[in-house]
Amino acid sequence: MKINSSSPICRDRWMAALHVKGQADAQLTAQFSEAEKLLFAAASPKGVYKIMERNDVKTKGFSIEKHLEGCHKVIVMAATLGIGVDNLLRKTQVTDMAMAVVIDSGASVLIEQVCDDFEQQIRQDMLPAHMMYMTSRFSPGYGDYPLTEQSRIIGYLDAQRQIGLHVTSDSLMIPGKSITALIGIADHPVTGRLATCNECVLKEKCTLRKEGKFCGD
Amino acid sequence: MAIDFNEKKYILDGAMGTMLQKAGMHSDETTTHFGQEHPDILKDIHRQYIDAGADIIYTATFGINRFKMDELDVSLVEAVRVAMDAASQAKQEAAKKGRDVKVALGLGPLGELLEPMGTLRFEDAYDAFREVVAAAEGNGADLAVIETMTDLYEVKAAVLAVKENSDLPVMVSMTFEENERTFTGVSLEAMAVTLEGLGVDAMGINCSLGPVEILPMAQKLRALTSLPVFAKPNAGLPDPATGEYDITCDQFVSKMDEYFDAGICMLGGCCGTSPEYIAGLAACRDARDEKTLSGGEAKDVGAVCQGREAAERDGDGAKEPVAGCVGHAEKPVLTTKPSGAAVIPAHTARLLKICSGTTVVCVDHVTVIGERINPTGKKRLKQALLDEDYDYILTQAIEQIDAGAEILDVNVGVPSLDDVKMLPQVIKKLQSVTDLPLQIDSSNPKAIEAALRVYNGKAIVNSVNGEDKVLAAILPLVKKYGAAVVGLTLDETGIPATAEGRFAIAEKILARATEYGIPEEDVIIDCLTLTASAQQKEANETLRAVRMVKERLGLATALGVSNISFGLPARPFINRTFLALAMESGLDLPIMNPNDEDMMASIFAYNVLKNRDENAVRYIDRYADMQIAAAGISRKGGQNAEQLPVENGMAHDIFYCIEKGMKGDTVAAVEKLLQESSEMAVVNQYLIPALDKVGRGFEKGSIFLPQMLQAATAAQAGFDVIKERLAAGDQKTVSLGQVVIATVKGDIHDIGKNIVKVIMENYGYQMIDLGRDVPKEEILAVVKEKDIRLVGLSALMTTTLGSMEETIAAIRKEAPNCRVMVGGAVLTAEYAAQIGADFYCKDAMKSVEAAQEVFDEQV
Repeated sequence: MKINSSSPICRDRWMAALHVKGQADAQLTAQFSEAEKLLFAAASPKGVYKIMERNDVKTKGFSIEKHLEGCHKVIVMAATLGIGVDNLLRKTQVTDMAMAVVIDSGASVLIEQVCDDFEQQIRQDMLPAHMMYMTSRFSPGYGDYPLTEQSRIIGYLDAQRQIGLHVTSDSLMIPGKSITALIGIADHPVTGRLATCNECVLKEKCTLRKEGKFCGD
Repeated sequence: MAIDFNEKKYILDGAMGTMLQKAGMHSDETTTHFGQEHPDILKDIHRQYIDAGADIIYTATFGINRFKMDELDVSLVEAVRVAMDAASQAKQEAAKKGRDVKVALGLGPLGELLEPMGTLRFEDAYDAFREVVAAAEGNGADLAVIETMTDLYEVKAAVLAVKENSDLPVMVSMTFEENERTFTGVSLEAMAVTLEGLGVDAMGINCSLGPVEILPMAQKLRALTSLPVFAKPNAGLPDPATGEYDITCDQFVSKMDEYFDAGICMLGGCCGTSPEYIAGLAACRDARDEKTLSGGEAKDVGAVCQGREAAERDGDGAKEPVAGCVGHAEKPVLTTKPSGAAVIPAHTARLLKICSGTTVVCVDHVTVIGERINPTGKKRLKQALLDEDYDYILTQAIEQIDAGAEILDVNVGVPSLDDVKMLPQVIKKLQSVTDLPLQIDSSNPKAIEAALRVYNGKAIVNSVNGEDKVLAAILPLVKKYGAAVVGLTLDETGIPATAEGRFAIAEKILARATEYGIPEEDVIIDCLTLTASAQQKEANETLRAVRMVKERLGLATALGVSNISFGLPARPFINRTFLALAMESGLDLPIMNPNDEDMMASIFAYNVLKNRDENAVRYIDRYADMQIAAAGISRKGGQNAEQLPVENGMAHDIFYCIEKGMKGDTVAAVEKLLQESSEMAVVNQYLIPALDKVGRGFEKGSIFLPQMLQAATAAQAGFDVIKERLAAGDQKTVSLGQVVIATVKGDIHDIGKNIVKVIMENYGYQMIDLGRDVPKEEILAVVKEKDIRLVGLSALMTTTLGSMEETIAAIRKEAPNCRVMVGGAVLTAEYAAQIGADFYCKDAMKSVEAAQEVFDEQV
């Protein structure tokens, strides 16, 4: 389904994604506006979700197991900005690499925002009828929940047919700016659980961790 | 094994997956796997659909192909046989009851996206479909159906695989969203134009939406093609909690009369439908047939349907639906009804349409073909082709698009170059950045075929001429791949001097094209522009010939325009006057440089004055903000002195221009410097030091990535000026060394790699970019062939670091003198050392340092 998402791309998150510190100068501000215009024209945000029994959803790893603890059902979801963004990025990388970098990071922020909006939409669809509690989103690649599980989620959702979301044999998604995730549903309050550094596949390479920070902060 | 799809209204079957779920398939299982485990259930589902009234059943081979082998416990050949046997047996049992049922080999999407969106090569997609078609042979298919497609390129691979490896008729249906585009952006019109060209037997729409949403699209598709049209809608949308579809059988069937009214001659159901739906559909069809036969209350059906049904009553096979189907783009020879309310076509020939995989250009106005991708007389482009510097070629393409070209001519004619390899390669590269249709410009039939094969959409072939052997070699290719073709009015005896002589050749080309089954609207005649200075009398013969071809044959015409002025002063005056005369004589497709605004202005103005630009929309869009400068023309000697680049009233030096990313000003500054300094001096004393300064700012954190890249882009523009000069003087390009760069196998993230490429190019390194998802063998082959001293590898995912390690090991073993630098988000210096890289580059500047170390030590 189409996801209604029209709020502007958050400039703070965009700057952080570009590793730009301080204030955006006039040039960057102009680039942001231009990039945002191009992105909104190229993006066609879509999502699909399905409510499944917890036992029917196969998962791998400790992190997701803990996250879904106490949940009897699971919302399996996927969202994408669509292939138009990939096409835009490919073309822009030939004509204007600087703009391409700005668009790329903007698109990464945008897909997160779209997912937030989609999750809100799902919560609104669900809550009045079912009076239930939900965890936050949890995606493959986080903690020790392997990226290879991407294809299983896409399979459950028939996401290729539903929203045009493909996964390569190396578990990368096309369109590139896409997210898959699970949300646990329980009949009692649940919070889910963030993965710890110790179980994270990135623990040896994480730059945040070296700076003494945590991605969940 | 032809099937007459116009013979009657066929009922197609309904959903297979939905029925398998009802038969007990688990949510974690695929339809392919479950069907293979239970062939008896497959057969029973086929039987149910036949009993419900289906005339054509689809085999459960939709998800069987080489990329989904993990869903199978048996070989592909065996799996195809099992699925087809189930359908064939159901068909045979029905035959005993006197039913004539046809079995369609079902082909679905491969599950991997094709290049440029994905990583699957067109050729591999073709092979994957070919395997299934070959496996189906001898298993009782009456036809093939390619369905649920979203990428026209993948459809082309499948259609070619069926047509080249079987004699089965082919039906194709694609899946559209509410905006009438597929997920990859294919429009109904692009589908119709391309598939008619490829010679499919019927086309349609299936899946994704319900009957209400698909109806208007089916109606449009019906108007866009003279081929039979079919539809298989879903039973609405599924509920996320229950998986149930929301359109009941009655609701579904109640919509079907409108489909038949619209001339949709084959109907079935997709996801969520069941035999009940199909039975309702068949009843609806039968009721209509009864009415038609009784001649009584047949509904007021659309023009197409009326024609077909009238023909049926007359006992005529009516193979061709009624001429002049509603909605076809007609030639602009229109007459107005007395009321003035509507126009009706004076004759029914159709207009020329060309398309890419997503964009259709209808030549109902003067349409510019950009001529710049042609190395004749362009040394810089020639060098780029020899160096396989695709970015330069792509920049030329994008420049022309921005300037208003609607079709791009592609010619790679450099004597020492293998055009059979190069032409398709350039076509693929162009398709990755533009959705403009292309004109394949070559005289080599092998190169033309190689290019047509990988072209996505309907191309133009440029060209044939009146020579019999040329026509015999190229026209079959034009027909097979569904292209349009440019015919030059010359033959073995040369170019006729008179218009009559050229017209005679045009007639011959048209006659020959018609013999091959090429529609006349797809024949474009080029009456050839000669130079007015050498052959003054013949300039007017060209114009007369254009008029004769347009008026007597009604064909589209093309002309290379700017040759006319060769050898004369102030060429633009001659060019634009000739262009205006040619347009008035009937020129549709000027082949020219769209960067020439004077000429473009004439075309936009002409389209307004001739009512080919409704409400002057295109003209206003282009020129609304335009201010015409006074006194544009000056006599010789009166030229202004060249001015320094100026912004805000201040002249800037080249350092400032580059640092601020001022592209145009950098170009002007370089041109100025070149008046006094050599090319290499400009590079070494200005461009590189300016970049160094920016690089130091980046290291310090006072300049950020976008700014650095903008500076690099500005410097790049400066380098282009230098390269242009060197190429013009036949000097070698500036190169400090050749560096191979690639994103490793398994990874498709390439933006980081491309950043490095841009920066390193600016420092004078010749970058050989192998792209993304590159196998180690390919990298190694290039390293060995070109004796490369430095390779840059990029990987963004932890999952692909293994692939990076293997690539390094392979290089170490086979090319020990080659150094390797690595970069990417998940890499660290320690890890880089651990996998054996020579350099860890945390950013683009570090790669430059690595290259300096490698190539300096060589010196």
